[in-house]
Amino acid sequence: MNDALAIELRGLRKEFRRGALVTRAVDGLDLDVRRGEVFGLLGPNGAGKTTTVEICEGLQTPTAGEVLVLGRRYSVRAEALELRRRIGVSLQETRFFEKSTVREILELFRSFYPAGRSVAEAIAIVALEEKADTRSVHLSGGQLQRLAVATALVSTPELLFLDEPTTGLDPQSRRQLWEVVREFRAGGGTVLLTTHYMEEAEQLCDRVAIIDHGRRIALGTPRDLVASIEGAHVVEVVAAGLDRLGAARLAGLPAVTKVSGGDGAFALTVSLPHVAMPALLDLLQRERVELTGLKTRHTSLEDVFVNLTGRHLRDEGTT
Amino acid sequence: MLRPGIVYRIALTSFREFLRTPEAIFWTYGFPLLMAVVLGLAFRESQPQPIQVGVERTAGGAAWVAALRANPRLAVREVAPEEAERMLSRGRVAALLRGDPPVVRLDPTRPDAELARMHIERSLAPAPDSAPRGLEVTEQTAPGSRYIDFLIPGLIGLNLLGAGMWGIGYNLVDMRSKRLLRRLVVTPMGRGEFLVALLCSRLVLVFPDAVLLTLFGHFVFGVPVVGSPLTMLALILAGAVAFSGLGLLIASRPQTTEGVSGWMNLILLPMWLLGGSFFDNGSFPAWLQPLIRALPLTQCNDAMRDVMLGGAAPWAIAGPLLYLLGFGAACLMLAVRIFRWS
Repeated sequence: MNDALAIELRGLRKEFRRGALVTRAVDGLDLDVRRGEVFGLLGPNGAGKTTTVEICEGLQTPTAGEVLVLGRRYSVRAEALELRRRIGVSLQETRFFEKSTVREILELFRSFYPAGRSVAEAIAIVALEEKADTRSVHLSGGQLQRLAVATALVSTPELLFLDEPTTGLDPQSRRQLWEVVREFRAGGGTVLLTTHYMEEAEQLCDRVAIIDHGRRIALGTPRDLVASIEGAHVVEVVAAGLDRLGAARLAGLPAVTKVSGGDGAFALTVSLPHVAMPALLDLLQRERVELTGLKTRHTSLEDVFVNLTGRHLRDEGTT
Repeated sequence: MLRPGIVYRIALTSFREFLRTPEAIFWTYGFPLLMAVVLGLAFRESQPQPIQVGVERTAGGAAWVAALRANPRLAVREVAPEEAERMLSRGRVAALLRGDPPVVRLDPTRPDAELARMHIERSLAPAPDSAPRGLEVTEQTAPGSRYIDFLIPGLIGLNLLGAGMWGIGYNLVDMRSKRLLRRLVVTPMGRGEFLVALLCSRLVLVFPDAVLLTLFGHFVFGVPVVGSPLTMLALILAGAVAFSGLGLLIASRPQTTEGVSGWMNLILLPMWLLGGSFFDNGSFPAWLQPLIRALPLTQCNDAMRDVMLGGAAPWAIAGPLLYLLGFGAACLMLAVRIFRWS
């Protein structure tokens, strides 16, 4: 047991049985979440993120492996009770008592905890003051999600679990929630969140683990992960005639470290854009390829995922 | 303008969704078939059911009883004088004969009352071909023995059942399907606390309902309330415990409200048919009687009528009271064992 860790997972495995079919949702996962950090679990849908988080929340029991949360185990009854007082949880897509108001729902959740914030304070944290007396059935998706976070913050949790807290939200609601998470962290809290938004992980997380098929395929700060790709820039080029040239010709250009894509749209990973760009344009002009789109950007966690798996995070197809 | 291609696609999708929901298939096809088999077996007599007629047992015995028995359309039951009134008022018999020469008492609200009168008169005619003998017939219309008097206690029982099914059963599954139960169990809230609170809130809600029905029956239709209101309240409480336990039990596993609706039908339909809320269940075939007596609704309704209309004392209904409490407790214990929180 390590006091500096909020969560320790060792060899975590979770299998679901349906008749003869066994699905392995989590397949030998090791993970440490340090106290005071915002840790992100990143991965496509079905990667095992939610299962992992729900095991950490005590909602599911692992098939095998060790789970320590705040140095305690859910398998010990007294420790499980203690943990439920010390954690705050926002599940994916929870709907609450529909005919109760935001305030009434928070009063209910507040009553479960021996200590915590006032209901008014919890409402203020998620900026739902105007909706305090609105029944939950009339809340928008973003407001409902903020209510879910408020139910997690109405106690004073040391560890906050947020399962896809911003999925389906508009950009403004998303930024509002990020602010809530940052403030919670500033107060010394630890956060484990799952997301499939790269931008969210880059903006919010101190460290991320990229999960695919129930396994950890990368771990580090967003900056380190991005830097691990050779070449810090990506040039996206769209032109009908590109396939005629072939990926090999593009890969042969100076300062280009990797080429992916096809069907007239390619992404070049590039170490020095000011070297690669003129050479690329030169090639296109010589080969009389008509350009329909050209974009350069910094590499992101999305590229890290593509680089590791050959797939994009948010769709199932290969690129 | 209907576009056939689109209509076809939507219909196909709807079919597919249905066929891929096994519980929907069972409740749509299997369950009605099951009911048809059960009810068909229960009422397969090719002869029309004989009419139940009560004869008050007298010291000397009456000569005309044999004449009644000779009529195959009549089922003659000899009853003790102290029980005779109750048989008629509870709808166990269509007519009651007492004295010599006999006086016939009928409940005119019963559909078979006229038929009973006709057969009695024909049976008691001096000779087979002679005109029926004029009988003295009185109609039972005093409060306490009409259909409405029978109905009100039955409706109280039915409402207790409904509260357990909808208030507890359906609501719980709704909360599970919304992931609300999952959200609640990761808090320090005790699981027992949650269930007890839910049961209590429903218990509180059934009292006004029963009181309202009783008052309505009393002041609008003159339905008598002979027994003690406290005994009635105790019975209502016991009924609520039984049906809440049942509600909790059917809600302990289903993930969808469709799933729990099936279970609710499975319980509600036999209770409506056999529980004796709307009509007397004493005339169902003898082999069905053990099941009928085991239904908590039968126990609740019979005891409620005994208290409300017959003024039964608490100890007189101790049996049904304990049965209802025990039934509820058994359901509750089983439910808690198999209850699924997520």
